[in-house]
Amino acid sequence: MAETKKSEQHKARRIVLKILKATIKATIVYVIYIFLSQFLVPISTFMPGIQQVAETFMMIYIALMIIGELTSGSIFQHFFGAAKALFVIGYLLLSLNGGIFGFSLEGINLMIDLRLFLMIATLLGLLGLAKSVLQAINYMSEKAEPALSVI
Amino acid sequence: MKVSIRMIGLATMFFWVFLIAYCVVAVYSFRDVQFEFGDPQTSMTQDDRMLVSLPMIIHNRGYSNLGNLNVTTRIADTKDALITEANSFVPVIKRNEEVIMFHNLTIDVEDMLQNHQDLMFVDTDLKIYQAVGMSIAELVPVEASSNSSTAWGAPLYGFALGTPEYALYNTTHIRVSVPVSFENHAFFDVAGNIAVRMFSSDDLIIGQGQTAVYAPQHSTFSGIVELYIVNLILSRNAYFDVTFQSPLFSYGPWVIPLG
Repeated sequence: MAETKKSEQHKARRIVLKILKATIKATIVYVIYIFLSQFLVPISTFMPGIQQVAETFMMIYIALMIIGELTSGSIFQHFFGAAKALFVIGYLLLSLNGGIFGFSLEGINLMIDLRLFLMIATLLGLLGLAKSVLQAINYMSEKAEPALSVI
Repeated sequence: MKVSIRMIGLATMFFWVFLIAYCVVAVYSFRDVQFEFGDPQTSMTQDDRMLVSLPMIIHNRGYSNLGNLNVTTRIADTKDALITEANSFVPVIKRNEEVIMFHNLTIDVEDMLQNHQDLMFVDTDLKIYQAVGMSIAELVPVEASSNSSTAWGAPLYGFALGTPEYALYNTTHIRVSVPVSFENHAFFDVAGNIAVRMFSSDDLIIGQGQTAVYAPQHSTFSGIVELYIVNLILSRNAYFDVTFQSPLFSYGPWVIPLG
């Protein structure tokens, strides 16, 4: 009876710790975003929609990060890690319109070729995806090792 | 495995930070690039072409170099037929450097007026496409372009031969005085020669004359060309052919019926 209670207390503490960790991580990422968004102000004069794009991106990214943190210790953590990496790739590809960003400003047509940036960002996203896959493999192999040692 | 995964994580984070920092530097570098345009200067080349030179000063006060600065100007008529095109290129503008360049646009007025003859007599609008392209931090290509139009003033606007006046010159010849008038709406002076030949109804030359022309830009020219013809061969179906010649351009002959 006392052991069950202890185990429940331990579980509750783990959940609280996970929530705390997720909150701290989300806060840090949001603070970094707030800091970096100041640099977006001059860009928003050239690209009026960039602030909205960045905000939506951060909202979904932080949500995936929180879910990933809450599911830490399970295989789902790596699923959400992979989802986060795929989201970064997909969102950048869609929001940056394939890397060619064009808009009109007072009769002047501006075109920015961000294909190099997009390529590097996509590669980094793929690296993040590879990391999540490796983490998932590692997690599964660690799970399998005790069972093998018993045999 | 855990160490290698951690290393991948660290490398990814490092590259993300580097990429974001690079983008911020690139954007701020672009913001601090200043362009100054001087007044366009017009001159003539040795092969009698018109040279329009636009002085440009580029201050790169950003944090990184600018690469492949390319200035393009394309002038076309109202039907999108190309009249002239010019390109100016600077491979690299280092940071905290100032570059003075001249964007030179050469216009072969004779060639232009031969290919677009309506420009000789009719005022119109010319389409101008201008583009400035560069690579921010020598990596991110950016291009700003605009389409505008400029008024073209015809050098021989409203060219007309007035009613000829006939006067007896001697027993055999008549002096024909043909008034010539036009307005020079062009941005250049028109100086040259107008030659008028008079033809009979049988397409035979019956007289010819010429007069010197000088019409500064945005002025009206009126002059008289005198021809001497044999008084017996003047017929009602006679016609004139007119040729204009100047160092800048030549045109003609074009046929104008008598009267």
